[in-house]
Amino acid sequence: MAAANMKAVKLRIKSVENTMQITKAMQLVAASKLRKAKEKADETKPYLDTLKATLTDIANGNTDFQSPYTKEGTNEKWLYIVIAGDRGLAGGYNANLFRFMDAQSRGRDITALPLGKKAVDYLRHRQIPILTEEFAEVGSITVSDCFEIARLVCAEYRKGEFGHVMMCYTNFVSMLSQVPQAVSMLPLSDFRSGENPQQGPRDLILYEPDSETVFNAIAPEYLAGLVYSSVKLSVASELAARRTAMESATDNAEEMISDLNLYYNRARQASITQEITEIVAGAEEP
Amino acid sequence: MSAYELQVVSVDGLEFDGEVQRVTLRTIDGDVAILARHTNYCTAVGMGTAKVILPDNTERRAACIGGMISVMNGKCRILPTTWEWSSEIDVERAERARDRAKEKLADATLSREARAHAQAKLYRALVRLQSAGK
Repeated sequence: MAAANMKAVKLRIKSVENTMQITKAMQLVAASKLRKAKEKADETKPYLDTLKATLTDIANGNTDFQSPYTKEGTNEKWLYIVIAGDRGLAGGYNANLFRFMDAQSRGRDITALPLGKKAVDYLRHRQIPILTEEFAEVGSITVSDCFEIARLVCAEYRKGEFGHVMMCYTNFVSMLSQVPQAVSMLPLSDFRSGENPQQGPRDLILYEPDSETVFNAIAPEYLAGLVYSSVKLSVASELAARRTAMESATDNAEEMISDLNLYYNRARQASITQEITEIVAGAEEP
Repeated sequence: MSAYELQVVSVDGLEFDGEVQRVTLRTIDGDVAILARHTNYCTAVGMGTAKVILPDNTERRAACIGGMISVMNGKCRILPTTWEWSSEIDVERAERARDRAKEKLADATLSREARAHAQAKLYRALVRLQSAGK
């Protein structure tokens, strides 16, 4: 019995070792990709922050509601741009984002534009209407893809298909912390900081040549900018999440192997002791 | 002349952050120059050479294409789609792009979309070359 048990333990150790090799390799790959992705994310972060700050300033000061982009939401349909990963095995990266999106969009009539294969799968599973699946692969999205997305969203928005546009992405806070976030994109009034409704006289803004032309020109630009920088942040977050997940998987495998080794050695010792006892017992007989 | 704060941020990162005397660039409505104490202002950026005059009167040029410029409460922010300082422009590449675009435009059978595409490429190359040449 002991021998069969030992064999099973030995096999189990082998299989855990194989798994560990894979998780270790994935961890290393994610770590080296992460370095590049983090650089890209760091580069776009100031753009995203400044863009948001500028748009909030303009929204707070804006008194013009001529342009379709500045009109308060005219209908209660929401478009969600959801940026998730292409692959799993990244800890809670995808699940956290989807949970966050569900909480965000509860009770709203939503359509989604998924970026990332996991997002497509999830939205299909939830039977949420999808605007387009053209940009399913988040890893290969370029600046010009972002402009295409922005143009598409603007066209749909101007047709009145949606009253609001939001985007859910994962913010890269640090190597160890990635937080899902949502940002309003259209209309511009959604940018107004909620806790600080303008009181008293507003600062008037001069638009040249006129507000409608300006907003029509900048809305697709800033949408593309927002999408691009959020994609970069999300990709870095995904890799960081995967690295952390694979690191802990490797650690767990190591622990498991050492436990199993201990168990195996005990079993081996026990079987030897038993054999010796048997031999001694046999020898004592006259 | 008094200076004011200017920030230039493109998707490739923070290009400029500091005090300037004046910035001149081409918007969709023509060239504008922003000086200190400008009123709150917002417009979309066209294609052209942007000139930044630093407090010590030195001038820096850049190819600035697309995006927006805003002045809010004395602070100016430019958020261009592309912003390349004249020293960073690859002149040879721009020349190649210009020649390629010209070749394409010479083809009369080009579809309207392709023509617009080539035209845009040509303009971008010309703006780069103009910004790089002193």
